[in-house]
Amino acid sequence: MATTAPALTPAASGYRSGLYEWLTTTDHKKIGILYVANSFIFFFLGGLLALGVRTELAQPGLQYLADENLYNELFTMHGTVMIFLFIIPMLVGFGNYVVPLQIGAPDMAFPRINALSFWMLPLAGILLFLGFVTGGAAAAGWTSYSPLAQDRPLGSVGPGQDLWIVGLLLIGTSSILGSINFLVTIFKMRAPGMTLFRMPILVWTVLVTSVLVLMATPVLTSALVMLFIDRNYGGSFFDPANGGNAVLWQNVFWFYSHPAVYIMVLPAMGMISEILPVFSRKPLFGYKAFVFATAGIGALGFSVWAHHMFTTGSVYLPFFSLMTFLIAVPTGVKMFNWIFTLFRGKLTFSTPLLFALGFLSMFLIGGINGAFSAAVPVDFALHDTYWVVAHLHYVLFGGSVFGVFAGVYYWFPKMTGRMLGEGLGKVQFVLMFIGFNLTFFPMHALGLSGMPRRIADYASDAGWNELNLAATVGGFLIAASILPFLWNVFVSLRSGKPAGDDPWEGNTLEWATSSPPPPYNFDHLPEIRSERPVFDLRHGRAGSGH
Amino acid sequence: MSSSPRTRFAPGSIWAWVLLASIAIGLILTVVTGSVGALFPPEAATAQGREIRDLYTIVFVIAAVIFFVVEGLIVWTVIRYRRKPGDDELPPQTHGNNLAEIAWTVVPTLIVAFLFVISWQTLNNVEAVSAEPEVTVRVTGSQFAWTFDYLDAGGNSVAKQTVANGEGGILALPVGRSVQFRVHSVDVIHAFYVPAFLFKRDVNPDPDGRESVFELTIEESFAGEVLRGQCAELCGLGHRKMTFEVHAMTQADFEAWLVEAQQTPSPAPSGPVGTTLQLVAKDITYDTLELEVAAGEPFAIEFDNQDVAGITHDVDIRLADGTVVANTTEIDGGTSTTYVYGALDAGEYTFICSIHPVPSMTGVLTVN
Amino acid sequence: MTSDSHALTTTEHSPVAGLAHDAHGGISNPILGMLLFITSEVMFFAGLFAAYFASRAAVAPWPPAEFEHALEPFSLVFPATVMLVISSVTCQIGVNAIRRDDRAGFIRAIGLTLILGIVFLLIQVYDYGLLYAEGLTVAAGPYGTTYYTLTGFHGAHVFGGVIMLAVILYRGMAGQFSSRHHDAVEATSIYWHFVDVVWIGLYTTLYWLR
Repeated sequence: MATTAPALTPAASGYRSGLYEWLTTTDHKKIGILYVANSFIFFFLGGLLALGVRTELAQPGLQYLADENLYNELFTMHGTVMIFLFIIPMLVGFGNYVVPLQIGAPDMAFPRINALSFWMLPLAGILLFLGFVTGGAAAAGWTSYSPLAQDRPLGSVGPGQDLWIVGLLLIGTSSILGSINFLVTIFKMRAPGMTLFRMPILVWTVLVTSVLVLMATPVLTSALVMLFIDRNYGGSFFDPANGGNAVLWQNVFWFYSHPAVYIMVLPAMGMISEILPVFSRKPLFGYKAFVFATAGIGALGFSVWAHHMFTTGSVYLPFFSLMTFLIAVPTGVKMFNWIFTLFRGKLTFSTPLLFALGFLSMFLIGGINGAFSAAVPVDFALHDTYWVVAHLHYVLFGGSVFGVFAGVYYWFPKMTGRMLGEGLGKVQFVLMFIGFNLTFFPMHALGLSGMPRRIADYASDAGWNELNLAATVGGFLIAASILPFLWNVFVSLRSGKPAGDDPWEGNTLEWATSSPPPPYNFDHLPEIRSERPVFDLRHGRAGSGH
Repeated sequence: MSSSPRTRFAPGSIWAWVLLASIAIGLILTVVTGSVGALFPPEAATAQGREIRDLYTIVFVIAAVIFFVVEGLIVWTVIRYRRKPGDDELPPQTHGNNLAEIAWTVVPTLIVAFLFVISWQTLNNVEAVSAEPEVTVRVTGSQFAWTFDYLDAGGNSVAKQTVANGEGGILALPVGRSVQFRVHSVDVIHAFYVPAFLFKRDVNPDPDGRESVFELTIEESFAGEVLRGQCAELCGLGHRKMTFEVHAMTQADFEAWLVEAQQTPSPAPSGPVGTTLQLVAKDITYDTLELEVAAGEPFAIEFDNQDVAGITHDVDIRLADGTVVANTTEIDGGTSTTYVYGALDAGEYTFICSIHPVPSMTGVLTVN
Repeated sequence: MTSDSHALTTTEHSPVAGLAHDAHGGISNPILGMLLFITSEVMFFAGLFAAYFASRAAVAPWPPAEFEHALEPFSLVFPATVMLVISSVTCQIGVNAIRRDDRAGFIRAIGLTLILGIVFLLIQVYDYGLLYAEGLTVAAGPYGTTYYTLTGFHGAHVFGGVIMLAVILYRGMAGQFSSRHHDAVEATSIYWHFVDVVWIGLYTTLYWLR
């Protein structure tokens, strides 16, 4: 951060520059930028782990890795890092930066707790990676199913699994404190006139996400402490060898980790719901329906956890099947809201819109291929195969990651006062879009033909060679797409085109202040009479068509 | 605002085409993958699997229609509603349309309700278990072996097949008869998965040894076929090696095979040996990791596997570079055997359990 | 349209300085924050209770024969329970006192609450010692594991509450609270009541429904 700090700091804004300022800041904008930067670091690390996995799988036979244990560590840490240290904190980072601005507040409700929430994350990341140098990182999968995650021969001996537990406890605590902060901020610190139904959609999605975090993450915390007790004090929660119940871990774990999927995708939905209207010059189609759909997804999200457990033979299948099907409805409502926001609009193909459209087209696939698994008998065939790997990446990469990059290109000018280059942005988009599909689409076929997840090697006569090679090539293409992005950020921070206050003709309050905003955010607030106060200011009420 | 990216890039409808090209590439990938039939599961080898495949086909058709309609709508909208250069007028500011919104809430609800009902029906057929199955197989999962016990009416094992690290016995099954599987694990969670069955079931450890039960009937047309099976739940180091073969047989062949399998003799030790060593395995650990024998003469190891039934071990001898010098047959937990090894040259060797190549089961054999 | 936008640009702008405060007399930020935090704590204990009932359903008999008389409702735990319930009352007396600006009453009541909390913890530690001597340990199967996990995490929360009580007692003695300014006291008292309620749930579940 030391090198980027001066460039991010406008001369006249009253910021003190320097490393010390960044380490001690309680300003929500700086903390937001710290979150984003930290998350990108872990995105790159998690990406390298994924490349390790894909390289090993490019051809049948064990080529590059000394043993399966390292392979198991690679995919375990890839999943853990991408979920807990990249997507979730990245979205919290955007929320941190944007939410107070969008509701016209000077900061988050608890600025010091906000800083505490952030600083737990790098610490947790260090703990997780420390496993690699202390005899092996966690290797039982990001789901850490017991008894494989227990301390026993051929289970998870060594400190890696304990470091994983402690790291996740820290991240969970960070999330819970963050969610309390968001909720109090949103409930108590909105500017005059900003009624609940005039809040920008991103604020709504952060609100619902925070409720999910508040209700679900503590359950993960309880699961983690129980696993820790099992491993270190001879406890009997999840280990049948000690009289425990192996499926109990799955119930408690998924009670958190399914809502976590919505924690990872709702704010990204909120981000593209800000971007699509701006670049089609129309309001979001069906604002209220969108809000209710978000709340509906949040509520239903708590009743579908056992669809990860259809093949255990110990859950009531029809109920969880029905709930899983039903959750497709509010998601579908959102899809149509987005499309009809574009419909009859006047679209400008700037990079944020391209990534938002990438989200729409790819998340659609992630929704549709998820419906297959809701049909329980079909899930018997697909569960724990590469089909599931395809599905989850279409949701979390095709959805969340494309949403994140849309957000980066959209708010970078506000955060830094500089535009990101459009040309490099589009090169990145095209590379990433093609690489993404090349990596993950073939996995549908791999899964259908029976390739299980999490195997370090496969038989050369199983018919999986070509598709695996394609997926590996795609993976490297995704990695290649990161290079123009990094170059773009580097160049733009040094000499990017000045952004001005409102480069995109935005709708929401963050575009009514300077880029970057002053420490207290606003000198003046425009009057708020709709969910698009800055649009109203620019075009008058007539333009909004009321 | 003249310097805003919006006006600067307004002529860039070329980017709409770039986007379109990217989506087209995605679609081509779809077609390429689909044209080799890869977006369908393999031909189902069981009656239950056929029902699942039929359900898959219905879901697939509905999914494909939704995909092409919605994706098409996105692409068409993106091309149709590009902003023209110099067009500064606002489009109509539509905030919503109740009728449309109700429609796209109700129609998907009906579609998923339909999918739920048909998948529930299929589920009931797939999960059906008969009171008196014609064949019963107890499947025991362990790191990293499958044990298949063929049970008689009293629940006693009449024949046993063990597949460790993908090698050893087979899972022979008759076609056209209902086969009940009773699965459980002795250590961690595994999953019994045969892709051609379109079915898998978790193999859970349970403190009271409870089993998970399901039933399958192999189609007559699959007699003589060999099907791949594999563990589908991450179970540790040897997860990838937990494969097995399903041999579908006519009923006559199966009966003959079963008789033969009941009579498989255990290989008897032969020839004079020099030293005889003792070795015990318990909790996936050898009781000693250092053994010594004299060079140039055969020797034997009396090997006692004290782990629970289902956990198999053996004692292979390897060179430092991994070359296998002696490959022994694994024995089940609760049994013992005597392995006889040929004469070795002086030097240091590794003795190792090939099923559990972990430090606690990897020792040094010094030959003087 | 022009007149409209003109009207808009000249509308009065909101003063930012007023935003951080709650102008409508609603609950303050720290208290809302504490209520939300307690919501998360409820879910944490819900996870532990779920594991408890799942373990219990799978083990027969419950309690296991060798621990049939380990957890008696009218043993040492009974006075500890009574003390914790009383401490909730004294805590509320303290809150009511500071609402009336009765600082001496506040200090007396909170001091008493603090002592009761500490005594509860001491009894719990002593009781653990007795149970360990009887062979009921964390590693003694699901019965022991769930007992120590549930009561242990509750004890940790009591410990946290004791720290918070000590802090508000110290601040109260330094004269930092008044009827208009005592959010920390309200927040601590909500937390202390929550800890009390959890204990009643635990006592009922572990000692009565055993």
